Amino acid sequence: MRKLWGVLLFCFGTLPVFAGDANELFYLLRARVLLVKDYTADVKMKINVTYMRVPQLSGTLYFKSPDKMRLERHGGLSIFPKKNTNLTLGNLIPDGKVIVLDMGYAEKAGKKLRILKIVPEDDQSNIVITKLWVDEANLLILHTESTTRNDGTVTMDLEFGNYIPYALPDKVTIFMDVKDYKLPNGLAMDYNDELDIAEKAKKEKATKGTIQITYLKYTINTGLDDDLFK
Amino acid sequence: MIQLLRIELYKIFKRPRTYISFVIAAAITFVIQLAMITDGKTFMNFAMQGINEQFEIQGNIINGYFVTHIILQSLLVHIPLLVALVAGDSLAGEANQGTLRLLLTKPISRSKLVFVKFLSSFIYTVILIIWLAIVSLLLSILIFGKGDMINLKSETFIIILKNDVLWRYMAAFAFAVLAMTTIASMAMLLSAFADNSIGPIISTMGIVVVLAILSNLEIPLFNYIKPYLFTTHMIGWKGFFDDPVPLGAIGRSAMVLVCYTTGFIACTIFYFNRKDITS
Repeated sequence: MRKLWGVLLFCFGTLPVFAGDANELFYLLRARVLLVKDYTADVKMKINVTYMRVPQLSGTLYFKSPDKMRLERHGGLSIFPKKNTNLTLGNLIPDGKVIVLDMGYAEKAGKKLRILKIVPEDDQSNIVITKLWVDEANLLILHTESTTRNDGTVTMDLEFGNYIPYALPDKVTIFMDVKDYKLPNGLAMDYNDELDIAEKAKKEKATKGTIQITYLKYTINTGLDDDLFK
Repeated sequence: MIQLLRIELYKIFKRPRTYISFVIAAAITFVIQLAMITDGKTFMNFAMQGINEQFEIQGNIINGYFVTHIILQSLLVHIPLLVALVAGDSLAGEANQGTLRLLLTKPISRSKLVFVKFLSSFIYTVILIIWLAIVSLLLSILIFGKGDMINLKSETFIIILKNDVLWRYMAAFAFAVLAMTTIASMAMLLSAFADNSIGPIISTMGIVVVLAILSNLEIPLFNYIKPYLFTTHMIGWKGFFDDPVPLGAIGRSAMVLVCYTTGFIACTIFYFNRKDITS
């Protein structure tokens, strides 16, 4: 098993520039993302949603493929978008059979990236359509844009550094649609609403929120137990 | 002066009804804590339905800090009553018992007497708030544990990290002392007008309830007078749980409360010095 991992990591770690067709590229990318079955990571999370004032949260993030995720904050609170809009790349790449469309190339952050449009064949899938911006040289997805059935559009920026062989990012920024939040004043009994009024104009226009996760250290494929996520 | 203060404190704390305030404060706190133990999740689901639609919050949400915040919010109307029970009785109670005239035959000025009675009411208020801090904060932490605190405003959702909460409570309780001192001074003024203590206590409560409603009503007509009502500023303690803490607004609220307190005491001294004491 270790030899197999070694071969796979060697292949992906030293991958030459990919020049195959879009279908092949997508399935290669998906296989690479799915190589990581679980991980534990020390993370810092910053939530930037207009109606939320949350300090930077530090903790340990547990992930188990395909969609189990938990942030342990040693007695503190953790916030995640609802399950369907998970924070993992694996969740934003449709599984099962898909239609892959080659959308050509585009420049992003000074890099030439290949754009793939993915449409799941399963019409029950939460993902309606996903666009991937792919760095073919390193076989990495640097940007995704997914239209979901229940959670609007989720956009994700990924920055890679120390864990390129595993296709695990050092930093992920998720841009998501946010709905308005309102609590009756009779229940909240606000004291000072100067800050809220000052931000209200911004809030009315702002319908996007961002969640930024910085991964400090990964421990990969240790066989995390399902009970950890209960 | 110290001797006089001791006598006034002795009068306050020898009366059984003084301790009723402490029992009531504890009882209200226990009831809310019990409600949060049995039905806290339902309350949270209702209060956070806007958040829960989009986000999943994991961890000990209903912790001691959060429950204390709920308790303090619920006591907005009750604690002024408990303060008024003592402060409203300070002058009118003496008049009712027929001891006021006798008291004023002693070689102390009326101004000094009013000031000492105010001081004793202030000490009672401080002790009551400390008691409230013990039964609400300390007991809630023992029952529900510590954790990051959620503060739900009408348009903002705030999380305060657990190591950043305690100083806010200390500041909030200090501010509550200031707010309740304003109530005590108003109850004393009304007490100076009356010859029995029921009138000042009920009048104090009536004024607090009416002005608190005006402060919370979202009607444009009242928006002009809201900044001048002391009830608008009495909830200044909540500012310490905002992010960032609106120190300017809290300072202004504190100033308004100090002005009201000074005004009430000055009016009490002015009126009491001219009052014809017949009982």
